[in-house]
Amino acid sequence: MDTPNPDNHGEFFDQFLDDYYAECDEHLVSIRRALVTLEDAGTVDRALLDNLFRSFHTLKGISGMVGLAAAEQLAHHLESYLRELRDGTLTLNKPGFEALVAGVSLLEGVINARRNDQQIPSIDEITVRLQAVSSEPTTGEVAKNDVAPTRWLVEFTPTAELAERGVNVNSVRARLQELGQLVQAKPVVKGAGEIAFEFIVATEADETAFATFEADGLTFRPAPVEPAPQPRDTQPVPTIAPASVVRVDLDRLDELMRIIGELVISRTRLEDQLTELKRTTPAAAWRSLQETSQSMGRQLRDLRESVMRVRMVQIGEIFERMTFVVRDLARESGKKIIVQLSGGETEIDKFLVERMMDPLMHLVRNAVSHGLETVAEREAQGKRSEGVLSLSAMTAGERIVIKIADDGRGIDRNVVVERARARGISHANSEIDDEALLDLICTPGFSTRDEADRESGRGVGMDVVKKATEELGGRVSLVTKVGEGTTFTIELPLTLAIAEALIVSVNGQRFAVPQSAVREVLEVESASTSVLENNEIISYRGKVLPLLRLARVFEMNYQRETSFHVLVLGEETNAVGLAVDRILGQREIVVRAIKDPLAQSKGIAGATELGDQRVVLILDTSALRQLAITAKH
Amino acid sequence: MEPFILFELAGTTYGVRSRFVQQIEMIEDAASVPNAHPAVEGVVLVRGQVIPALNLRTRFGFERIERDLRSRLVVINTGNRVVGLVVDTAREFLKIPAESIEPPPEALTGLSGHYLEGIATIGERMILILNLDAVLDLEYEVEPQISQMMTDGR
Amino acid sequence: MNNILVVDDSPTMRRMVITSLGALRSVKSTQAGSGLEAIERLAIEPVDLMVLDLNMPDMHGMEVIDFVRKHQAYRDIPIVVLTTKGEESSRKEALAKGANRYLTKPFDPRQLADVVSSLLKAH
Repeated sequence: MDTPNPDNHGEFFDQFLDDYYAECDEHLVSIRRALVTLEDAGTVDRALLDNLFRSFHTLKGISGMVGLAAAEQLAHHLESYLRELRDGTLTLNKPGFEALVAGVSLLEGVINARRNDQQIPSIDEITVRLQAVSSEPTTGEVAKNDVAPTRWLVEFTPTAELAERGVNVNSVRARLQELGQLVQAKPVVKGAGEIAFEFIVATEADETAFATFEADGLTFRPAPVEPAPQPRDTQPVPTIAPASVVRVDLDRLDELMRIIGELVISRTRLEDQLTELKRTTPAAAWRSLQETSQSMGRQLRDLRESVMRVRMVQIGEIFERMTFVVRDLARESGKKIIVQLSGGETEIDKFLVERMMDPLMHLVRNAVSHGLETVAEREAQGKRSEGVLSLSAMTAGERIVIKIADDGRGIDRNVVVERARARGISHANSEIDDEALLDLICTPGFSTRDEADRESGRGVGMDVVKKATEELGGRVSLVTKVGEGTTFTIELPLTLAIAEALIVSVNGQRFAVPQSAVREVLEVESASTSVLENNEIISYRGKVLPLLRLARVFEMNYQRETSFHVLVLGEETNAVGLAVDRILGQREIVVRAIKDPLAQSKGIAGATELGDQRVVLILDTSALRQLAITAKH
Repeated sequence: MEPFILFELAGTTYGVRSRFVQQIEMIEDAASVPNAHPAVEGVVLVRGQVIPALNLRTRFGFERIERDLRSRLVVINTGNRVVGLVVDTAREFLKIPAESIEPPPEALTGLSGHYLEGIATIGERMILILNLDAVLDLEYEVEPQISQMMTDGR
Repeated sequence: MNNILVVDDSPTMRRMVITSLGALRSVKSTQAGSGLEAIERLAIEPVDLMVLDLNMPDMHGMEVIDFVRKHQAYRDIPIVVLTTKGEESSRKEALAKGANRYLTKPFDPRQLADVVSSLLKAH
């Protein structure tokens, strides 16, 4: 049961929830990775156990702070079990490992339940299991870490200058870890009272490896033979050095993009003002101002592109997550599965990752649950006992191609066709080709809700996979052979036509206006408009700005509001103010062309959708301005 | 023998060759397109593509009705164009032998042009087979009332 | 301006501590994610008080207390241990080694601020 923080400082700690979740995610990833390594390796590595222990310990601490008692208690039990394993009072066996894995999954579940405001699952059963495995007194030797040939003593004296250069105890540590095994890291006080760190590293590399050390204030010499390290010294499992990777929120990137959008508008205004100054400014001075403005424009463009590149992530991250899921499923079902990965370093926009994560996961789950057979079935068919699930990615021109393949049962056309017929979906016969087969499987209603829930608990079905892919402008295809296996191929465009847009409401309908076309946004009272030569105008920067009402150009009904907004479009001399009822927000949109003549219309540049499946039309501002001129006469 | 998708409109059954039907969807609200032909309800997003939703009732000059749970969007892909047709219901799939399809009667052709490829008679039933190119070409006037009367539609 | 060194391997924890001390006047904070980093900070900049977690990688908090108390230059720096509730023996050991106060997590932000403030004044 989860109770609010008993010290009643709940509100204080709530502000740290985002940090909490982010830190939990990091720990859970490293825990999962460690579990996979534990499962694969023949011997048990003490350093690994210690890392696991510490991760659970930290998770216990921060969960306690934010008041998530279930997570705190679960982490506590996991930590206790790990302490015994680490100290050697218990050895890791199968039931123990399984309890660990189950415990970690549940811990993840508890944290996610809190994150999504759902009911927190009960931890009682797992607690009992963990306590059961923790109390089995089996003794065993904890594997000692192997020691490599030569030991060197490296001394590092930290100074403020070195720290400024990036040479600090962490970076030195990382460097030494790359060379070999770090056996010791301890602080000492030298003769004159200054602090230094003594590292002992065991490496097969020779002296040349230390060539760069002296420049960074490091000295080295062969280490005296020392006794084995004490229990508290540990060797952390090599991880990505903290300095080289930064965790970035997609929201913060969106914020960056928004600010860049505003910079673009400001710069355009600067350009306009420069144009005005031309007459009254000495030529040379003006030219140099102009150059500055232009180079700013170029720099902004570069900045925008760089931020977009930050959004690229390696698809290997998704593959890794899939590997965990596959192992869980394999373990639960007793199947033996080997996961082959390739192309993990292929980069993909984070936006695509977020949209495709669930669908791709669904395909993987399907492959494991339905595609791959049990050991017995496979051996009966003369296949190797381990099923192979291969995940691959590569870029092909402007597209990224992701394949999820298994060497399992394959999809039986007859079964699919029968079921489609029984469900009243289709009357196709079994001679359908792979493409038609895919269509059938992806028809909503093909698999029943119960199945979808059991598999993924979230109602992601094949129809969603197809839909999500196609909405991103991609394509799903399928190749399958009974008895041999199935391969799903997902192709996605690498670049989407993405633009920044203002979403506005005019006469009850939503439209998108490209940010780049908007010079400025004004708030206007109806009372302050006047009529000049049959056109509505307002005063703007000492000049007259004609107003453009979509109702006139588009023949819509409209009501006058007491106040409304005006988007200033176009250059100073032929600027026009587009009247809108409300500004709903600023969004990055995926621009889709309207190809069919039936739906094309002057003043409409294309369409997009804002995540609610409803289409929003994108205004063509230059065409609108033309239309405004013709509507006048 | 060719498979056809059948749909209903104002009490009459129409058919289109199933190879031209990309999919059949429940209709979501279409975004209204300004200055478009009155029969174009708007645009919808299907498979990542923005396509027009053509209301066949309006196209054929029938009275428009409120949408209900049976209304469907039949997405037609002729190879050149992808357009959605808004119809009353669309649930049937039928194989029609070529022999059962007769060319539209002279009287009809003269009056309302070639929007019909033919009329299929299966037992008591009459199914009007659409000529999609004509239906989708809005330059082309369509007046199906006469053919409705001939097939006993309302 | 007093410099408070916050030592804990959890970034979330460090943020919480720093925020708790935010209201104190003439106080700035520095962070360290491990015992080694903490000692490095001592070597590089003047530190007026340490808030120290115990269970940390590569150098246990107790060893940090040992090190700090054994050396002239740092002997008198006030140390507030802030750690997960453990055994009573741990508390005694820390105080015996020279820690000034021993607080447990989850902590009361006001209490922490008060403790730090009074230790700084006395110093």
